[in-house]
Amino acid sequence: MATSKAQTSAVRLEGITKRFGDVVANDDIDFTLERGEVHALLGENGSGKTTLMSVLYGLYDQNAGTIHVDGEPRSFDSPRDAMDAGVGMIHQHFQLVEPMTVLQNVVLGHEPTENGLVDESAARAEIEEISSRYDFDVDEYLDTPVRDLDLGTRQRVEIVKSLYRGAEILILDEPTAVLTPQEVEGLFDVMDELTAAGRSLIFITHKLDEGLTAADRVTVLRDGAAVGTVPADGTTEQELARMMVGREILFDRQPRETNPGDPVLEAAELRVRGDRGLERVTDVDLTVREGEILGIAGVQGNGQTELAEALTGLRPVESGTVRFGGEDITGMSRRRRIEAGIAYVPEDRQTEGLVQDYDLVRNALLGNQTIEPYASGGFVDWTAVREHAENIVEEYDVQPPNPDTEASSLSGGNQQKFIVGREIEHDPDVIVAAHPTRGVDIGSIEFIHDRLLELREAGLAIVFVSSKLEEIQKLSDRIAVMYEGEFIDTADPEDVTEEELGLLMAGHRHEADDESAADATEDAPEGGASS
Amino acid sequence: MSLVENARGTRVRVGIAAALLVLAAVLAVQLDVPVADIVTVGFIERALQAAAPIALAAIGGLYAEKSGVFNIGLEGFMIFGAANTAAFVWFFGGESVTQGDLWLAILASVAVSLVYTVIFAVLLIRYKADQIVAGLAVWFLGLGFGPFTAVLLWGNRNSPRLASMNDVTVPALAEIPILGRLLFDASPLVLLTAVLAVAAWVFLYHTRYGYWLQAAGENPEALDTAGISVTRVRYAAVLFSGAMAGLGGAVLLAHAGSFTGTGDTMVNGRGWIGIVAYLFGNYNPLGAAAAALLFGGLDMLQIQFQTAGIQLPNRLVNLFPYVAVVVVLTIWGSTRMPSAVGESYESEE
Amino acid sequence: MSGSDSSRGRAALDRAAARMLNASVLQRLAIATASTALALVVGLVVVAAAGYDPIDFIANVFEGAFGDDAAVSRTLKFTTIFILTGVAVAIAFRAGVFNIGVQGQFVVGGFATVMSILWLAPFLPENAVGGVGLIVLGTLAGIVAGGAYAALPGVLKAYGGANEIITTIMLNFIAVGVVGWLVEGPLRGEGNRAPNTERIPEYVEFPSIVYDSPDFSVVGLAVALAVVVIVAVVVARTRFGYDMVTSGHQESAATYSGVDAKRTIVTTMAFSGMVAGVAGAVFAIMIQGYYSDPSGVGTYGFDAIAVSLLAANNPVGVVPAGLLFGGLDSAGAHIGLNSDVPVQLIDGIVGLVVLFVSAPELFRMAAARTGLGGDDR
Repeated sequence: MATSKAQTSAVRLEGITKRFGDVVANDDIDFTLERGEVHALLGENGSGKTTLMSVLYGLYDQNAGTIHVDGEPRSFDSPRDAMDAGVGMIHQHFQLVEPMTVLQNVVLGHEPTENGLVDESAARAEIEEISSRYDFDVDEYLDTPVRDLDLGTRQRVEIVKSLYRGAEILILDEPTAVLTPQEVEGLFDVMDELTAAGRSLIFITHKLDEGLTAADRVTVLRDGAAVGTVPADGTTEQELARMMVGREILFDRQPRETNPGDPVLEAAELRVRGDRGLERVTDVDLTVREGEILGIAGVQGNGQTELAEALTGLRPVESGTVRFGGEDITGMSRRRRIEAGIAYVPEDRQTEGLVQDYDLVRNALLGNQTIEPYASGGFVDWTAVREHAENIVEEYDVQPPNPDTEASSLSGGNQQKFIVGREIEHDPDVIVAAHPTRGVDIGSIEFIHDRLLELREAGLAIVFVSSKLEEIQKLSDRIAVMYEGEFIDTADPEDVTEEELGLLMAGHRHEADDESAADATEDAPEGGASS
Repeated sequence: MSLVENARGTRVRVGIAAALLVLAAVLAVQLDVPVADIVTVGFIERALQAAAPIALAAIGGLYAEKSGVFNIGLEGFMIFGAANTAAFVWFFGGESVTQGDLWLAILASVAVSLVYTVIFAVLLIRYKADQIVAGLAVWFLGLGFGPFTAVLLWGNRNSPRLASMNDVTVPALAEIPILGRLLFDASPLVLLTAVLAVAAWVFLYHTRYGYWLQAAGENPEALDTAGISVTRVRYAAVLFSGAMAGLGGAVLLAHAGSFTGTGDTMVNGRGWIGIVAYLFGNYNPLGAAAAALLFGGLDMLQIQFQTAGIQLPNRLVNLFPYVAVVVVLTIWGSTRMPSAVGESYESEE
Repeated sequence: MSGSDSSRGRAALDRAAARMLNASVLQRLAIATASTALALVVGLVVVAAAGYDPIDFIANVFEGAFGDDAAVSRTLKFTTIFILTGVAVAIAFRAGVFNIGVQGQFVVGGFATVMSILWLAPFLPENAVGGVGLIVLGTLAGIVAGGAYAALPGVLKAYGGANEIITTIMLNFIAVGVVGWLVEGPLRGEGNRAPNTERIPEYVEFPSIVYDSPDFSVVGLAVALAVVVIVAVVVARTRFGYDMVTSGHQESAATYSGVDAKRTIVTTMAFSGMVAGVAGAVFAIMIQGYYSDPSGVGTYGFDAIAVSLLAANNPVGVVPAGLLFGGLDSAGAHIGLNSDVPVQLIDGIVGLVVLFVSAPELFRMAAARTGLGGDDR
């Protein structure tokens, strides 16, 4: 039995296809995990990595394809089934009960008992054994509530939990996303220990260097399909970046004139805290001028959201200043900023940008409550608002073209076109657009891009946040790359390659520019200098 | 939840309680209040009796909320508990009620409360009823059907004098000063409450079911992926909460000896105070019981004021617990609820 | 033949039911009707189980609610108060704030009205003009008092994090206790045996039009309907209403649009309490003429929660819902005099209505189970 086990792969996925409605998230993917290896699954956001692993873990049913675990065909209806077969998954969002202690979390659902009470000493002994076998170093926290632990320790607790439940195969979903560099080191050590003991690991990531460092083999996914599998030894980050991004350039950058005018929106030494009280924006300086688009590139979760919210007045600033047309607006309320002409296409159109169970007429008023002619003297002029809604629907090609439709029944692309239309139509001076094309169909993307470029021509200042390389390159006059809360570099979209941008977003500074840690406030924008 | 975990919160709570006591002491000295006449053994005994129903409802309520279901119907279940106990006493004992009849009536009443709670739980969990609105409905139902029962049986919203629970006296030990009277010459229902509070604490923090309960309210997904049915855990917790609130009402009746159905009935907000008691007790059964004792003491102050010859209008003194609730909630308003309270949970399976 | 007929009929029924399930207004109306009907049925079962004649009971209900002029004017009297308190609740619930304290705000408002009229009466002429003046001033006092008493838990929630459900319930008890103490002692009318304030002057009253009843006037009902119109306009046509309702629907979107969530909580509560204050004023002026121990004034503020829920928290929907509850209460008064069935049953039925309204899923599933509504649902 042991020999036959050794010969078979730990996991073999063949021809996995998973569709959500019309969207193909996984397209005929083959994937093999050998015993005792770390296999990295590399791809951009939305390339289908997590979907594939959720199929393996029993969270989704595949539309086609087979799963073999230890050589046996399996189909998991639930994570519980997967767990029983020795497959454990460490999610990006930890499945931990924060107020409960580490010990309680690890044994949850599998508690040893004696006389009806949980046998804490037996549990303790077993966890300590696991912890010491793999150098997890969680012994001292056994009685600490998870809430009081840093994220790296929480992650180790999750791994201990999986091992306690007998996992032989571990799926780590973007495990480094929430960790500090030191914690990442620690995680890689733990991964080495685990594979040395014969466990097999799947490591989901979009960071090239991590894939190379931690994995034995790397499989790259792009747009739901497997591009290829390569051994980590003998490949380079450039090679991986090329596989990840692909050759096809979807969007061509048109040659253009750049004539930026006066600065409109400026930020200096901005520090902003996130929801959990951690600093998410560190010392950011930026300037955006009339008639230019400042692209902010970065992998999601590197502080772009917090930055956008601080600029638009939705999030208080820890320190630093925000200026608008030369005036200090750091403490100005959201409503006053709207009135002053700062428009915001929010990252989350579902919960922020639209009220889901309002029709489009009522949604057309959102943010315009104090703007003439839609409201005056405290009263709403619904006729004007309806006209406004009809205009947006027509001009921005919102389908179905009926302003009485409930927002929730619109597709993502149409919702987004509506929001963009609403934000643009009341003639702002600056637009902060956060991921305006995420989850939007290709036609709507083009449409939104064209509108933003038109506005730029018309002299608006635009801050454009995106994690998609092509569109950042296509639209921006200057690109600032954000990584872990900082602008680590700026790039000229005319002569930076996607590979270079991808490396920057993964935290690699330009060798040459490293000294002059750049910010986005160059007096003469690079694009302007070159033209 | 470990002791370590809440050390900080507990310190703040104890701090608030201590500050209130010091304030009371300073006031007492300043105003020359005869403290010895107020804090008597009899007062403590009465406070314990007044606290028992609140503590029982509070413990039930905190179990439900720990599991992720806000049972705001505690007040209503208490009214049902009291009214049904009175009805059963009348039914079993008629004119001459024995202590045995009383116990039997309490048991039967709790059983009926359990049946009501089954319906309530199915509405909340299976049919995803709005927890707040459904809980209020239970209160309205109690306010209607409690007195309705009384009128059916006695032709009046209030019952005649039925029977009250006798103290259990342990012959020799009862002679011990103070403690003897509190522990060995006390209402068995107070002792039962104390036992239940301790048992609820042990169960919550030291059994696997307690672990599941906590996980169900904090991170149901974590419990689900551990292979435990969140729904079952929540059903169990809600049923327990209804039974405990019913028992609270029964105890209230057994101490009072007759049912009052006028105004907001004899329960008169004790279920609501129970909710605040467990919030103030930070969802810890022992903390909730202690908070209940605080409110019970406030409730009994008027008798002490009278005997001590302090002239304060009854009606105002009676408001002390309610005022205390508002003050406590405001100072301690940001009590952290279990994160998944109020959200219905559907398993991925 | 008949088979195809019935299947065609069934298909039509399916389509109708499907439309009902999809259209939210119709759906709410259906749920409200079903809840009420189900509650009445359960009530009748209880009546039968308790050994009374359910037919007799239901006959008494209708007779008591609409049997003659006196019954109708009594129904409209209760309806007036239910509409006002119901609208007060609807305002808060629409904005996602659970103001359970309308009863307390109603009591405080009504008491303030009576006291201000008693205090101001000597300064105004003792005639109809003075009466109107006192009504206006007294109502204003009620509005201010009710609004302030509601703003308090609003502030405690917005800035202290205190759960408004519990604080408003506690403030109900406190309002009843304090006003009860005041009318018992310090502010009891001279020579009154009962714990009541003095009567307000006789010329301070609504004129009797259409119905000749001492405690109902069409003017009172008109005030209630005017308040409904005002609130409906504020909710639907003003910026404040839009901000408020948007906060209730989706707070994150409201914040995105520049709404200050905390301040909205306080203003919503104050607005809700002001309407409760109007209810208290109308109750005091039209029905009582003095203020008595509030533990006996009736639970209009609590039943209002049911009224509002039944109306899906829509101010206009509160009118028919208020009429239903007015009818039920009026029937209760009739039954109390003309039947052996304990009148508390009516309170129980109110509870059942609320219980069923809380679980719309129950009816949706029932509709789906019976196959009504078709498959695409």
